Amino acid sequence: MSRQEIVLNVNGFDYELKVDVMATLVDVLRDELGLTGTKIMCNEGVCGACTVLLDGTPALSCMMPAINGEGKKIETIEGLANPNTGDLHPIQEAFVERSGMQCGVCTPGMILTAKAFLEENPDPTEDDVREALSGNLCRCGNYNRITECVLMSAENIESRNS
Amino acid sequence: MMTETFSVLGKSHVRKDAIEKAKGDAKFVPDIQLPKMLHAKYLRSPHAHARIKKIDTSKAEALPGVKCVLTHKNVPKKHPMRKLEFWMDETVHHPGEEVAAVAALTPQIAEEALKLIDMEYEVLPAIIDPEEAIKPGAPLAHQDYGSNIWNNTPIVNVPRLDEDGWLRLEVGDVEKGFSEADVIVEGNLNTPMQYNCSPMPRSAICEWAGDKLTCWADTQLPLYLLRDLSASLEMPQSNIRVIASHAVGGYGGKSPEKTASLTALMAKRTGRPVKSVFSRAEDFIGTHHRIEYRNYNKIGVKKDGTITAIYSKILANWGSDTVVHYVCQSSVILGACSMLYKYQNAKAETFGVLTNILGYGAMNGFGDPEGIFSIERFMDEAAEKIDMDPLEFRLQNCMRYGDRAMEYEQVMNGPVEWGIVGPDLDSFPELIEECAAKSQWKEKWKGWRTPMAVEGDKRRGIGVAIGMHHASFWPASAIVKMTQDGAATVLSGAVEMGQGYGTATAQVVAECLGIKYEDVSVILADTGAAPAAIGNVASSGTSSPMNAVKIAAEDAKRQLFELAAPRLKATPEDLEARDCSIYVKGTSNAVPIADICFTNWQITGTGNNPPYHAIRDPKTGKVIHAYAAAVTVVEIEVDTKTGKIELLQITSGHDTGRSINPIMVENQIDLGLVMACGWVLMEEYKIDPKTGVLLNPNLLDYKLTTFLDMPDSEHFNRVVSERPSAWGPFGAKGFSETAMTALGPAIANAVYNATGTRVYCGSMVPENILHELESRNKEA
Repeated sequence: MSRQEIVLNVNGFDYELKVDVMATLVDVLRDELGLTGTKIMCNEGVCGACTVLLDGTPALSCMMPAINGEGKKIETIEGLANPNTGDLHPIQEAFVERSGMQCGVCTPGMILTAKAFLEENPDPTEDDVREALSGNLCRCGNYNRITECVLMSAENIESRNS
Repeated sequence: MMTETFSVLGKSHVRKDAIEKAKGDAKFVPDIQLPKMLHAKYLRSPHAHARIKKIDTSKAEALPGVKCVLTHKNVPKKHPMRKLEFWMDETVHHPGEEVAAVAALTPQIAEEALKLIDMEYEVLPAIIDPEEAIKPGAPLAHQDYGSNIWNNTPIVNVPRLDEDGWLRLEVGDVEKGFSEADVIVEGNLNTPMQYNCSPMPRSAICEWAGDKLTCWADTQLPLYLLRDLSASLEMPQSNIRVIASHAVGGYGGKSPEKTASLTALMAKRTGRPVKSVFSRAEDFIGTHHRIEYRNYNKIGVKKDGTITAIYSKILANWGSDTVVHYVCQSSVILGACSMLYKYQNAKAETFGVLTNILGYGAMNGFGDPEGIFSIERFMDEAAEKIDMDPLEFRLQNCMRYGDRAMEYEQVMNGPVEWGIVGPDLDSFPELIEECAAKSQWKEKWKGWRTPMAVEGDKRRGIGVAIGMHHASFWPASAIVKMTQDGAATVLSGAVEMGQGYGTATAQVVAECLGIKYEDVSVILADTGAAPAAIGNVASSGTSSPMNAVKIAAEDAKRQLFELAAPRLKATPEDLEARDCSIYVKGTSNAVPIADICFTNWQITGTGNNPPYHAIRDPKTGKVIHAYAAAVTVVEIEVDTKTGKIELLQITSGHDTGRSINPIMVENQIDLGLVMACGWVLMEEYKIDPKTGVLLNPNLLDYKLTTFLDMPDSEHFNRVVSERPSAWGPFGAKGFSETAMTALGPAIANAVYNATGTRVYCGSMVPENILHELESRNKEA
């Protein structure tokens, strides 16, 4: 197994690492950096639980070699709250306030997918949200509630920006 | 009388675990890292039935970083708790059964070591089809068992099992009932398997300190796991601590598997903590699931809608082993005998068949979705034969308060004694009527064999079904400790796995003690710290352990009153707790709870759930049973070209008891509906009929419901009836699994309305629908 030295920028910090070239990004995040907020549900690119943002775009960290993350801004669920104040991101706030989670395994992936989506489409319809999140599975069946939370956070973001 | 005004109950307080889950800080078992921890991986049999001729682990053991290799040669022989499940055995009984385990410094080294294990199998004849299995001369799924039909054993003792291995329940006179019927409907119907698919595959971490074992387990049954570990490792339960405070939605499936025992043994042999985390594929093939039932049903009705007799014969394909055996099957036959309808004559017969496929476990609904699917599908046909509106038919016949009822434990263990349905199920008529109104049934139902709309290949239909599930009432105890600042800490053996137990429990305690929700913290599911509760299964959480917590909180309140009384110059009977103080009722004379606790830090309430038979009907004195009712009306569109069914609108009514946290109540309803949608429309086990191998052990080929498979919020109506239950705290009760029961048969009935074709298969995936449509066309 060959190893390679890389620098991964995760949540604004440059980590100098030496990783197995075959290691996936999710394994490096969880096992090397201790960022266990990124969850593994299927580990084969189907369920969306391991979603992280790469330069703002959702990516399945279980399908991606960690070495390919070099040179990109990687954002995980741990990086979402305001680093100075600790305040939750408006999407997190909505999930908290309206119980947008049950077991909580899909939650980080849902929130990050929603974040990227709302940046593209700040004023979505319900159908837009359902479509955008349809690659993220929730075995607890919280789909309608999650949609509600994302719509609510879109409104909150808009009112804060105006 | 129960007070109707609450300060904490009935409000959607923020979940206790919401912030940590939203921030990614919530830790589940795979997230836990311990110093010196080893990682375990498992080698699994590719064969359905085989004897291990040779197993050479020398190369694996020589691989640097490998610390322990287990095979059948160096583990204890039999798992003493179960007849069929071994630690690991020389003979394997289903594809996916563990044949070796490796613990190594990294998961990668452990995986590598598995490849170095040299295996040679003698393949034995396997039996895959359950109907073949019961024919004379069929190969035995377990050669040392002697029969493919499950019989009684000293280990799984089912007093009411007949000599031939059948479980039978008969009330009244079924033959007479059928002779009095104007119309009889009958037929065969299969309900499919389902994979629990917990978002987090099975995992466990074990660590020893001397002769004491700690097991962090992702289980919903910590007490059973404690018992299993104690029995398998032959050590006292007091030396084992099971911590299940990091559990993830099991939907019934997170019952003890042998993984924890194997992990504990590897930890013992290496003197280091060992972690086992299954891959998704392993979780598919190495755990227990909802099994397939093959049902024959016969129902007799009179022209006026009276049901004269119900008969069900049910073959259950248990697969290679079971963790639930006839406990679950009793639910199936109660469902089939019908806990939905008033009847005088009913008979149900069932038996379990052993085959060399995946094993039999619990899953959401625990037999009721299966039994009810079949009954509700044939009831619909019965209503049609007498030309009665299916909704009216259900309104006329549904169970009500005072109707006789039985519990699965009585069915299984006897004596078969009738109790009565408690006031809970009186919600059926109200739910049926409310669902009819909300779904606009009267406008949309155009009569039998008249679809709602037809446009080319697409046909729209509407269907209704009712369902129910018990809310189990079991032993449990709890502690509520007052802290010196007047807050409270709850110790309960129950598990938070997403359903909201911790949150609802805190609400109950805050309500009871008159303190703030934020001031209650809840410590759960640690057998070394919390008083005993089985865990969270059978919708028992609210009715049982949470009820024990309420009793403990009442006990703490009583102690507060006794201490406050002299200070308030009143008697304890004159006091009430509210706004974080103890008041003399109807006055402003009060003492803060924090003041009492500051000098009385010993206040500790304890509570035990009363025995089951303590709950009696005030009117008749009979034992009453807790059930939750469900009614679902569904509109669908069937594409007759592709066989695909789209759900256009769901109206689902639920009798939830007193709602402690309304948002969480709705979330639990949604869980059942989404899972039921998956069960009947998408999820499908593809098992090779020759080899027994599961061909789709991944989430690409085994399809779960997505956002787009369910109707949007405008077409998703929830109806909640909050009739207070006799069981749980403040009239709350378990209801969640009920949501799984009615949607499936409602869809099947809507398919008939849309297409004029009755389905005979619970799995209504496109190819099965096409098959049903084609067979009907051929007949026509």
